[in-house]
Amino acid sequence: MAQPLVKKDDDHDDELEYSPFMGIEKGAVLQEARVFNDPQVDPRRCSQVITKLLYLLNQGESFTKVEATEVFFSVTKLFQSKDTGLRRMVYLIIKELSPSSDEVIIVTSSLMKDMNSKIDMYRANAIRVLCRIIDGTLLTQIERYLKQAIVDKNPVVSSAALVSGLHLLKTNPEIVKRWSNEVQEGIQSRSALVQFHALALLHQIRQNDRLAVSKLVGSLTRGSVRSPLAQCLLIRYTSQVIRDMANHGQSGERPFYEFLESCLRHKAEMVILEAARAITELDGVTSRELTPAITVLQLFLSSPRPVLRFAAVRTLNKVAMTHPMAVTNCNIDMESLISDQNRSIATLAITTLLKTGNESSVERLMKQITNFMSDIADEFKIVVVDAIRSLCVKFPLKYRSLMTFLSNILREEGGFEYKRAIVDSIVTIIRDIPDAKESGLLHLCEFIEDCEFTYLSTQILHFLGIEGPNTSDPSKYIRYIYNRVHLENATVRAAAVSTLAKFGFMVESLKPRITVLLKRCIYDSDDEVRDRATLYLSVLGGDGTVDTDKESKDFLFGSLEVPLVNMETSLKNYEPSEEAFDINSVPKEVKSQPLAEKKAQGKKPTGLGAPPAAPASGFDGYERLLSSIPEFAAFGKLFKSSLPVELTEAETEYAVNVVKHIFDSHVVFQYNCTNTIPEQLLERVNVIVDASEAEEFSEVTSKALNSLPYDSPGQAFVVFEKPAGVPAVGKFSNTLTFVVKEVDPSTGEAEDDGVEDEYQLEDLEVVAGDYMVKVGVSNFRNAWESMDEEDERVDEYGLGQRESLGEAVKAVMDLLGMQTCEGTETIPLNARSHTCLLSGVYIGNVKVLVRAQFGMDSSKDIAMKLTVRAEDVSVAEAIHEIVASG
Amino acid sequence: MILAVLFANSVGNVLIERFNGVPAEERLHWRSFLVKLGADNLKGVKNEELLVACHKSVYIVYTMLGDVSIFLVGKDEYDELALAETIYIITAAVKDVCGKPPTERVFLDKYGRICLCLDEIVWNGLLENTDKDRIKRLIRLKPPSEV
Repeated sequence: MAQPLVKKDDDHDDELEYSPFMGIEKGAVLQEARVFNDPQVDPRRCSQVITKLLYLLNQGESFTKVEATEVFFSVTKLFQSKDTGLRRMVYLIIKELSPSSDEVIIVTSSLMKDMNSKIDMYRANAIRVLCRIIDGTLLTQIERYLKQAIVDKNPVVSSAALVSGLHLLKTNPEIVKRWSNEVQEGIQSRSALVQFHALALLHQIRQNDRLAVSKLVGSLTRGSVRSPLAQCLLIRYTSQVIRDMANHGQSGERPFYEFLESCLRHKAEMVILEAARAITELDGVTSRELTPAITVLQLFLSSPRPVLRFAAVRTLNKVAMTHPMAVTNCNIDMESLISDQNRSIATLAITTLLKTGNESSVERLMKQITNFMSDIADEFKIVVVDAIRSLCVKFPLKYRSLMTFLSNILREEGGFEYKRAIVDSIVTIIRDIPDAKESGLLHLCEFIEDCEFTYLSTQILHFLGIEGPNTSDPSKYIRYIYNRVHLENATVRAAAVSTLAKFGFMVESLKPRITVLLKRCIYDSDDEVRDRATLYLSVLGGDGTVDTDKESKDFLFGSLEVPLVNMETSLKNYEPSEEAFDINSVPKEVKSQPLAEKKAQGKKPTGLGAPPAAPASGFDGYERLLSSIPEFAAFGKLFKSSLPVELTEAETEYAVNVVKHIFDSHVVFQYNCTNTIPEQLLERVNVIVDASEAEEFSEVTSKALNSLPYDSPGQAFVVFEKPAGVPAVGKFSNTLTFVVKEVDPSTGEAEDDGVEDEYQLEDLEVVAGDYMVKVGVSNFRNAWESMDEEDERVDEYGLGQRESLGEAVKAVMDLLGMQTCEGTETIPLNARSHTCLLSGVYIGNVKVLVRAQFGMDSSKDIAMKLTVRAEDVSVAEAIHEIVASG
Repeated sequence: MILAVLFANSVGNVLIERFNGVPAEERLHWRSFLVKLGADNLKGVKNEELLVACHKSVYIVYTMLGDVSIFLVGKDEYDELALAETIYIITAAVKDVCGKPPTERVFLDKYGRICLCLDEIVWNGLLENTDKDRIKRLIRLKPPSEV
């Protein structure tokens, strides 16, 4: 709630300032409002009272139903007055009071009279008020007048009707859609604002009719649009049309690009920026198309207006994610923005630089950031830390300076979210770059010596337990862990005990010493700590309770085979009795999350924050999901799961995507289905797959989905057999079959009888890249030289004419599905040659490294020299076959 | 959609607020977020110098006009550029009504007129009028001069 206004500070006293609303009270104002009922209305006084009512409403004051009704009724009496100033206030207060539907009737006749008044301004305002307060039935009655108003010669009346149309479209779309002819006329208006509002409304009316939108854009891009605001709308609609055309396979010269490019020379800055943004967001934008947009954005980086700098750097930041090299020309301008007073701009500049910088500039950049970090808020710091994490993964050789930076900021002051972001980043780096492990673990150990967040301490201890024992000198971590047992709260102490036990079990030489330490913990004041210590002592000591090493290993390090959510539910439902809780009774199937929940999750957590078991995505998640299905248990180890491939367009009735799971001699298609219609329940959902264009594959089995309620995704599976170890490829066409049942929306119950139906899905391909797992190497050169030169296979290929080198590199990368190393996925702008380093593991667990050298001649013909080294020479040959046939 | 228009005085008390499409329970959060943003950044800022920020998927453009700070929050088509355009019109209209960058007292004296201007500029989250001379006439129910 807003505070009542306070008296100004003493130093303002000389200005004799006081609030005209000082000491204002709702009761008193309501009393004053009786003046509206006077037979002789005093316009000035009434306006003052209305102002007070507005002030109260704007301060968040609420009126009871009775109060609001009383005020509303008295206000309606003011229609008798002919005073224009008062009438304007009356229109405003009626909108603010938003009367209920049964009260509206009192005022509609007055408003309808005003709507047909000869005074233009009465008409405009009456339209706005009526549209705010009426319902559908009344709207049909006044529709005729509204249509007239749209083509009124007074632009204010016309705009009022058009903006009303925009609001009414949300509640009564079928009525507003009938106004398109009038709205179309509005687009031809000579008034800039009418044109702007008409364009917005016409687009909303026709947004689902691609052809109509395309025609609209086509005619307007040729004609003249009067206001910069309308021009910006047109640019947005144009990009939508370009996207739709691309989705529908129209090839050749990109339509409307010339229009966008011409907007870069518009006199209004907002139009230029909008056009630049639209160009940078084009699908598959080429560097030739990008260049003019980047040039104007670069100019805006040094604009004196912060909004323009912000808009430019925000756009460049996005471009840097996909085309980092295109942005490098702006690096000098962006470096000067690091000291920008507006911290949002500075943060965007920093994160953009982190994306565009090359390996040699990392150190210099880190120096600049160190100074910058001390004076920004935590929320900005988190963005910077995330950017540094990505940078480190991109340039693994630079991990030392990045890790030093992270450990330094870890020691400084900061809130939980910020510290968690840093810890997550260090964990990610340790996992991705083996060389960084030992120093990273020591930084984490130092952090927990003085960490105020229990959650982070326990998570780090858990992580230490997994990674620490495998390092060259595990004993050096023990001191840090054991200190926790003395200095921390019970939760952390318990975690420390578990971690100690893991060290004791994994490192034989430490076992006796760990046993001594654990013995000291059995006198802890906390039950959990004592229990854990006792349990681990018996496991370590082999005192007969646990028989074999294997059992204790499973106990300490084995993953919980059931999803944690299911485990939690089962434990909650378990009632203490003679019968012990049986872990085998916990269901293993992962319950799918409702769509809404998934959306709400937003950013995918990484590092420590990643939930260990629940969602069935990511390789581990898929592996767990598949192993829980008995039919798939015999397929052996999962080699690779692809990213989900969409088989339906966005916003269709049923959303289906597929994940390809590759096993040695089987391929499992996991169809993730979502029903987006609240009034339907789907049952017996299955996918019929036609594999006539995939000769080496034969269907083995399929697993239908019993029930697919609204907004709660589920999975159906189809399994194919293929020759063992062979990277077979083929094309599959898919049809979704199901029984559809109507659901009563009020009760949520489905009807008993359903109708069989089917739904055609897009085709799906298994390609050679599906048999390759992206696995990076931290030092490509070392890895390359460690492989036998004898097994190297070299060949040269002509890739034909391409728009740019980048396009060719991307095509080869997509074809092979390998990990790019050492930042070689980024190609300098206008480069004529480039070397791309790739690494991966091919089916059969064969390590493969590829060095692809590209060159482009003056006619844009591209040649590639491909050198492949693999642990198995036949795989190196297979890679060449893939490229030759791709 | 322009999600919020908020005017506050120099110590962060709200003078006018308009929310559009923001659930009642989220308004308190926005109110305190904006006031804090102003307190952190508006000190010593020149009159009408625009500041800009983004928070989640929404944009915020704010400025200082005399003793009054003005905040606009928008999303989708109302990005930082459209909001800058809108705040420019709002500040022009307020200056016009008050005759100069207002002190809090002058602002409150002209409170009714300022509310009317705002009603002409932003209607339920959509930008309606953009010309200060026209707005000046409209709030007195006078037709625009070009008609």
